[in-house]
Amino acid sequence: MLALAASLIDWSALWKIVLAALIGGAGVVIVFAFLLMAVDRATRASSNSVRVATYALSGICSVFIVGAVVIGIYAMTQKPKSKPVRPAKAAALVVLRRTG
Amino acid sequence: MATSIATGALKPRVAVLISAVLNFAGAFISISVAATIAKGIVNPAVLAGNEGLALVLAALIGAISWNLITWYLKIPSSSSHALIGGVIGATIVASSIHAVNGHNLAKTVIIPAALSPLIAGLVAGIGTFTVYKLIRWLGETKAITGYRFGQIGSASLVSLAHGTNDAQKTMGVISLALIAHGDISATHFAVPLWVKLVCASAMALGTAAGGWRIINTMGNRITSVESPQGFAAESSSASVILASSYFGYPLSTTQVVSGGVLGAGLGKKLASVRWGVIGQMATAWVFTIPAAAVLAGAAWEIANLFGTSSNSGSLVIAALAALGAFGLWTLAQRNNITAADLDRTRVTPEIEADSGEAPAAVAA
Repeated sequence: MLALAASLIDWSALWKIVLAALIGGAGVVIVFAFLLMAVDRATRASSNSVRVATYALSGICSVFIVGAVVIGIYAMTQKPKSKPVRPAKAAALVVLRRTG
Repeated sequence: MATSIATGALKPRVAVLISAVLNFAGAFISISVAATIAKGIVNPAVLAGNEGLALVLAALIGAISWNLITWYLKIPSSSSHALIGGVIGATIVASSIHAVNGHNLAKTVIIPAALSPLIAGLVAGIGTFTVYKLIRWLGETKAITGYRFGQIGSASLVSLAHGTNDAQKTMGVISLALIAHGDISATHFAVPLWVKLVCASAMALGTAAGGWRIINTMGNRITSVESPQGFAAESSSASVILASSYFGYPLSTTQVVSGGVLGAGLGKKLASVRWGVIGQMATAWVFTIPAAAVLAGAAWEIANLFGTSSNSGSLVIAALAALGAFGLWTLAQRNNITAADLDRTRVTPEIEADSGEAPAAVAA
């Protein structure tokens, strides 16, 4: 059973997909919340130092979000080329059945 | 784009136009999924001459029939899996079960189909739960306005990912027909530019036409979606699709986004998820491949009655499919859903935060 699961599931790819989804999905959403809070705080700040700090935080958040999008699109363009499919043993059976 | 429409981030017509353009662009990014469909599911050796073309047509009719039935019932189902089911069913009936590459089918289609909505749902749930904790300091009205803006970006990314995955499945099926006709080789596989253009255009035109019934289900009937939830659902879906695509897994965008919407619904405290709708969708998912396979097998048998070595069988099943499609379309007009029914851009964040006002089309 385990051998079958191992042959059907690429665990290495799976955990990387989960990690990428956590960073790109949950991460971006959470960082966007920090961006909104930073911008809101900056617009209400009475002192220059607070304003600069919160705008800097919003800048870092923006870079993270834009970076995630750019990496996502880059990943799409770098899809692995499909491997040539080995002629299946089954195909030989089909041919044999047809000719036989 | 369904959740962007549901949260009022975009007007329905604007949303589908942006989505159509990005679907078109996405179709040109890669052909790895098309190669999987054309070579990885069934042995190309069973496709030869007119019989091969009739097989591909029967596969398409099986997939289209199942998609139209689920569309009529307002259930989002995967056209990708319907296509794969159609190819499998027609191949089994026309040749034998041994012509289907079962290991590849399980590894590249079944397992990713089962896991991807779960991952998208889990990630969207974590994102939504955390965001609602954070935005208490911001105020819900400001958060809803901000996330509405952000949703334009997240929905666009989903549309691009959708284009690159789903248009390729159609390319794969057309490539199957071209292999059967001897125009392209299965061993030196390449998708001709005209096929890419036709598939990208069909995808874009289909998206631009609306599909308001499914948009209503995805955006409104699973759960009431606010813009932070919509953003979480879309960004988690886009991430799962992009990461999976990187590893070469063809996914169903419909299933991934549905998982994301469900996770976003569950992630918000006291949000109500309509489990009846989820049950209908899950049933449709389980039955999509077998049902499309049965319909495609039946289409092949009907074509075979009239002769598959000539074009007469193909013409008969095409005519029957067109009649069936017209019948379902006529029935659907009785309780039609339009773009105007789904427009929430006039619902202000204050109203949304206070009442969670639902659009008219939810119960339709």
